[in-house]
Amino acid sequence: MFVYEKRLMYPIHVKNPDPKLASLIISQYGGPDGELGASLRYLSQRFSMPYDKAKGMLTDIGTEELSHLEMVGTLVYQLTRNLSESQIKKAGFDAYFIDHTTGVYPTAASGFPWSASSIQVTGDPIADLTEDLAAEQKARLTYDNILRYCDDPDVKDVIRFLREREIVHFQRFGETLENVKEKLDHKNIYLYNPAFDRLKEQKD
Amino acid sequence: MFYEKETQLTEAPEWNQCPSANGTLPSCAPLAQSYVPYQEEEARKYDQREALAQGTLFPGLNLPFYKSIEGDPVPVTPLTELQALGFVLTELGLYLDSHPKDQEAFELFRQYAALEKQGKAEYEKKYGSLTQCNAAEHKQYEWVCGPWPWEIGGK
Repeated sequence: MFVYEKRLMYPIHVKNPDPKLASLIISQYGGPDGELGASLRYLSQRFSMPYDKAKGMLTDIGTEELSHLEMVGTLVYQLTRNLSESQIKKAGFDAYFIDHTTGVYPTAASGFPWSASSIQVTGDPIADLTEDLAAEQKARLTYDNILRYCDDPDVKDVIRFLREREIVHFQRFGETLENVKEKLDHKNIYLYNPAFDRLKEQKD
Repeated sequence: MFYEKETQLTEAPEWNQCPSANGTLPSCAPLAQSYVPYQEEEARKYDQREALAQGTLFPGLNLPFYKSIEGDPVPVTPLTELQALGFVLTELGLYLDSHPKDQEAFELFRQYAALEKQGKAEYEKKYGSLTQCNAAEHKQYEWVCGPWPWEIGGK
């Protein structure tokens, strides 16, 4: 089960609203490589993981991603507060505004709403963990690209933190993949799918 | 607190000389699979405030983008003190998930868990409960009282 802790993972205080920047950062809320997809990907993949260490890692990284989702939502919320209609129009935030006012909606910066087709649960530990490595890289580069468009130190600092977490998660998923490989046939790790084929009973 | 603050390493040649930024790989590795080296045990660590500011406890994993090399110091407030302790637990927890036999890391995890528990109790007394369940510790039900975390001046 999950219990909510009433605090952010990292402090956020954006002094200056900037709806244009919000319309870019929203991609890490509901875009193809954003935090919503990350949390659902890992928290769903864990059910078919046959080994304890991998179950733990997916649970704990998936949970951390939920606090990142809250952080990105907080950035969008604080960047769009107290806006006038003319500020919204001038900043190019009007298309988002028409559909969502200043609510926080899971969508990509390009306007595509969040879709489960941007994530996968294959039920195969090697394929899933390799997807997770790629997912961390895709989120990392999205944060790189946000940093190219962001001059506000209050926002930059938060994006820098989130970006660094992607690198740490990449390392941990890599170690998890190594651990899975150690459990498999050493000459051919693709001999069978340990989440489905019951050729060998192995425990962590 | 337990480890001295470490100077951030930002030049590639220095990373390559730094053992805590490197791990080990098999010298004769099977084809057609991907490899990420395990992080070595006893890797160098930041203290909790620096860890929160950098987004990692480990200098060896701190690999910034050129548009934002330096992590700014996080202002010291009761909330950020708690966030720093909580962050070390999150980070060490992930490390321990793949290195459960590292006793030194586990001991550090235990020490930080004790500090975080104590810090949380003190924080909740002054600023309100952090979980709905802990609202029971107060005379009145204050759980719904703002500011909520995403609001300006929030927790």
